Amino acid sequence: MTVSNSTNNPSLQHTLDSFNDCIDLIHRTLPDIHVHLVYFDHLVGSDALYRDIINPLTQAKEYELQSLFKKSQYQLTTDSIAVIQGILNGQVAIFHKENVYLLDAYKPEARSIDQSETESVITGPHDAFVELATSNISLIRRRVKSSRLKVLKLAVGEVTKTDLYILYIDGIANMDYVRDLIKRIELIEVDAILDGHMLIQYIDDSPNSIFPLFSVSERTDTAVSKLAGGKIIGILDGSPSVFSAPSSFFEFLASPDDYYQRWLLGTATRLLRFAALVITLTFTALYVSVTTFHYEMIPEDLLLTLTESRSRVPFPPLYEALLMEVTIELLREAGARLPSKIGQTIGIVGGIVIGQAAVQAGLTSNVLIIAVASSAIASFVIPSYVMSASIRLIRFGLIILAGTLGDLGIAMGIAYIIIHLSGLTSLNTSYITPIAPSYFKDWRDVFIRAPFWAMRDRPSQSNTPNKVKMKQKK
Amino acid sequence: MREKLHPFHIGILIYMTQAGVVIFSLPRVIAEHLGYNGWISLIIYYGIAAINITLISLVYRLADGKSIFQIMEDAIPKIVVLPLYIFLLSVWTLVGCMSAKRYIIIYQIFVFPTTHPMLLKLLVDVLAFLLIIKGIYNITKAATLFFWLVIWTIFLLLFFVHDFQWVNLTTFYFHESSDIVTGSFRIFTAFLGYELILLLFPYAEKRKGVMKAVHIGNLLTFITYTLVCLVCFGFYSFDQLKRMKFPMIDLLAYIELPFVERIENLIFSIFLFTSLMGIVMYNWAAVEAAQRILPKANVKWLSAIIVGLAFAVSWIPNVLVEVDAWLRFLGQIEVGIAFGLPLLLIMLLLLQKRREEPWIDYNEP
Repeated sequence: MTVSNSTNNPSLQHTLDSFNDCIDLIHRTLPDIHVHLVYFDHLVGSDALYRDIINPLTQAKEYELQSLFKKSQYQLTTDSIAVIQGILNGQVAIFHKENVYLLDAYKPEARSIDQSETESVITGPHDAFVELATSNISLIRRRVKSSRLKVLKLAVGEVTKTDLYILYIDGIANMDYVRDLIKRIELIEVDAILDGHMLIQYIDDSPNSIFPLFSVSERTDTAVSKLAGGKIIGILDGSPSVFSAPSSFFEFLASPDDYYQRWLLGTATRLLRFAALVITLTFTALYVSVTTFHYEMIPEDLLLTLTESRSRVPFPPLYEALLMEVTIELLREAGARLPSKIGQTIGIVGGIVIGQAAVQAGLTSNVLIIAVASSAIASFVIPSYVMSASIRLIRFGLIILAGTLGDLGIAMGIAYIIIHLSGLTSLNTSYITPIAPSYFKDWRDVFIRAPFWAMRDRPSQSNTPNKVKMKQKK
Repeated sequence: MREKLHPFHIGILIYMTQAGVVIFSLPRVIAEHLGYNGWISLIIYYGIAAINITLISLVYRLADGKSIFQIMEDAIPKIVVLPLYIFLLSVWTLVGCMSAKRYIIIYQIFVFPTTHPMLLKLLVDVLAFLLIIKGIYNITKAATLFFWLVIWTIFLLLFFVHDFQWVNLTTFYFHESSDIVTGSFRIFTAFLGYELILLLFPYAEKRKGVMKAVHIGNLLTFITYTLVCLVCFGFYSFDQLKRMKFPMIDLLAYIELPFVERIENLIFSIFLFTSLMGIVMYNWAAVEAAQRILPKANVKWLSAIIVGLAFAVSWIPNVLVEVDAWLRFLGQIEVGIAFGLPLLLIMLLLLQKRREEPWIDYNEP
């Protein structure tokens, strides 16, 4: 295609030439009235097509067409690129004499709204985002009935031109953050972006970090709570994963369930989750450290059990632990990739192999099985799958350090994690907010889940112009 | 916009720089030099440190957010201040590296008797380097996280409530004290670290609370030391305490839980965080001084060279006694800096102020 062609007035021939070899393109002719329709059948809803285009056109006489096309839904287009882009966006191009009109009849095939498989909750709403961005926006609009909810449309991917919608609530979100986010998105120059998780790796502050810097969710209530908290959310067409920014490390440890339960239960669950984080990171590492360097830490009675359990194992604790951890990771990965029915079988086979055979064969000790299993279970307590996966990988580093330097190795590993975390930012805000910088008010919604009356302010990380979210009772 | 340090974080940073591995031997040093009930004397050292901080707050007030290097360069030609910068840089680098070496040697004695201490030192220095290059704002953030990971250990002292005996404290005060002057320097060096606030002036939020935060940090250090020393004096007999190399480690070894005991190595490992902050802050101060000497140099390279030099120097002392001797000597110089530098700065600022006073010509009609 030459430049002169693209700036020319759109013509039927030029449009058809542009879609040369696109067998799915429909070119329909209405000879009586000299009208040509060009569209993609699978992007257009047949109801809308017949109701809004074919029926009115077939019933009209040619002299009536001019007045028909004056209706607002028919957009007169003079740019050939706009016509091509319109067809790709699910519009029907109507060619009549020299003029081209575009009419929106977009209704692509989409999965119906379903539960989220990765972020299930016990109480609370169960509808989750789907791949169709417009459906996702409708899910949010249904929950936020306010004209202050603003939706901006951008496109990412030089080839795919995928629609990306940026949502924020005017007056609550910090506009500097909105501008910064848009700027980052506009700077992306890549052929295709296929998922929300992929997108955030192009726009977050430290692409090399192991930690996810923008939180991603498939849950509509989570997305709405982020919006109400002054954050910005991004919906990428074709992906059910909606990201929100800025995010802090601790956000990944919260679940919507915390808010739907009574506050004491929510607090207990949250504390349990922090305990799970510590267990995941350190349990196996501590086992390795204690059995390699620090036997003195075990009380005498327990020591007997431990030595008995380890007596038949021919490997040093580090190898023993790595062997089991890798096996657990293999089982997890196999379970995730296989269909659920086979996945269950893998679980049973794995359970027997790990639980029974490995110990009987003298490859590993009972106590290690308990340590590895506890830390594996604890890792799944972390609600965010991406964060849980990051923590599990870090655990391997700690195990190796524990096997070489004992407790000091674990301390060094943790020090490194903290040094790394301290340098991270999410949309230029500290990733370890509200610990540093310390916002003690926010601690009520991070380490515990305080009663709602005690959580009057929006999270400080949002840097919102409108801090108070709840009016105080007089 | 560059982010500024909030007073709360400055307080924590000062505490984390002050409190270090010295806490493990402090009760013994106090017992050696100040005798029975020597722990009470901590209040005097705290008071001296507080006076020093008050002196520094005077500098802070007069400086109005200006860096100390700027103050010096405004008053004295750069060629004259350069040797002073080199001196400060060297002292701060050495204090950082020797305190790290001390931590490593103690750890090596207890857990890795056959491992070369410099191998462990290398790992700690790499961690320190990684933190230094992140800049003071991120150092403060890390200090805050480290603080919360360390501060809970103070509650371990509750285990000794039952075995604490007031009778061990006796009714004698400072009886059997010896070599008080040398001892005082040794004890006072445990409080050092607050003087680095001098370098934080340009980075701190312009609030009244900054110097108050330093005082609170210092107070927290004092409370920690006092609690640990009080428990040690009340738990051990005086003679026992004098003979123990690291009373705090033995104290921790006494704790027994149903599923874990002898947690001294674990807790000592956690104290890596405070030691690390000490190294990082002193080496960061050295990098700041180096930057004034070579303003165009890359900060990462400067930090690497300083940490590298510190690593090289720390090869020299081999055993704990040697490291202690180095630290004693450096501690005395650092005490001089802690008092001398603010005095010099006050003098320069007052002179500068006088020079800036407008001249009024009364002969004008």
